[in-house]
Amino acid sequence: MKSSPDFLGSYRQGSSPVHRAPLALKAAGVVVFSTGLLAAGSLPVLGVGIVLLAGLYAAAGMASEAWRPLKLMWPVLLLLGAFQAFTAGPEMAVLVPGNIAACVAAARLLTLTTPVQELLDGLVALARPFRFLGADPERFGLTLALMMRSIPFLLGSARDVRHSAMARGLERNPRALTVPVVIKAVAYAQQTGDALAARGIGEPGD
Amino acid sequence: MTIPSADPAAPSRRVSGRRTRWTSADLSLIAVFAALTAAFSVLPGIPLGPGVPITLQTLAVMLTGIILGPARGAAAVGLFLAAGLAGLPVFSGFSGGLGVLAGPSAGYLLAFLPAAFLVGLLARMVLRRTRRARFPLLFGAAMVTSFLVIHPLGIAGLMLNAKLDFPAALAADIAFWPGDVLKNLLAAAVGVSVLTAFPRLVPKPR
Repeated sequence: MKSSPDFLGSYRQGSSPVHRAPLALKAAGVVVFSTGLLAAGSLPVLGVGIVLLAGLYAAAGMASEAWRPLKLMWPVLLLLGAFQAFTAGPEMAVLVPGNIAACVAAARLLTLTTPVQELLDGLVALARPFRFLGADPERFGLTLALMMRSIPFLLGSARDVRHSAMARGLERNPRALTVPVVIKAVAYAQQTGDALAARGIGEPGD
Repeated sequence: MTIPSADPAAPSRRVSGRRTRWTSADLSLIAVFAALTAAFSVLPGIPLGPGVPITLQTLAVMLTGIILGPARGAAAVGLFLAAGLAGLPVFSGFSGGLGVLAGPSAGYLLAFLPAAFLVGLLARMVLRRTRRARFPLLFGAAMVTSFLVIHPLGIAGLMLNAKLDFPAALAADIAFWPGDVLKNLLAAAVGVSVLTAFPRLVPKPR
């Protein structure tokens, strides 16, 4: 069972100041940057934002990575720009797709410079202030880890099911492609749940 | 490796005080269905109809609600969204991060959480009342959820993020309707099969 290499996240190793900045600072930066950009909604602010982003990508040593999201998104952005040019004028035609691309690039810089494990730990840490509402960071972290562990298994079983459906000439039958995957998933979840219960892990505290 | 649970008839939830709390079996189901949603988001679509592949993300959301019920279903989809927004590459196209919130499809993505809850609620009502008419009624539950939750929030996201006016946003949204009907048919069919395979997941009739 081989997991998809893409699934290890988009982290690129490095020791730049952007890599070493604490995750909380980077996350707050992305939020402030994006809300500021969207709230301002003006071309000069977008220009400043793009220069800032380009500087940060360069500081992280990943100037070539900055274009990657555009490779996937350009048809949508182009369509959007054309529609805005037609209905709202040339300024919106640049502003709307430009803002979206800048927000995506900012968020991507965070995932490029933060290891997956640190992202997971950060997410669990985010649950900690909600303890008084009944949040349980330990069990949340356990569930998150179980989820990440299950993804390669499910991708592998989906591929196996696709191959066996092909062997039976059913590769265009959506039920033959999905029912076995979901049944295997439930069985896997029940085995995992039993294994956890047998070890007394993840049971609600009294 | 299968570890038989100590008592198959044990209730899946333990009541401590006022709140019902999830056992490790529940946490495991939540984690695996969050992973299933992630796996179905990144897998290539299934060819359905004449050469038009459909992505399986909304199919996974509907199945999660139908099989796990409203609370665990919403928790599973919430876990998937939290992991994706934190930057793990679980959204379609191996993307992730806060950037998607600025993108045109943000409304659809955020709609998944209330959608899993609503379809779970409706599915529970169906499963408690009938055995024979499950397929059409589960399909109905998924369609109600699509048009009450996913499409309105999706249109709102298009208007807010892509700055489309209502007719344009509606026109973009209508493009998803045929695929949605097919996916909801598939979700109902797969749901019936999986609940037949695991009768313990079906709520007791009242």
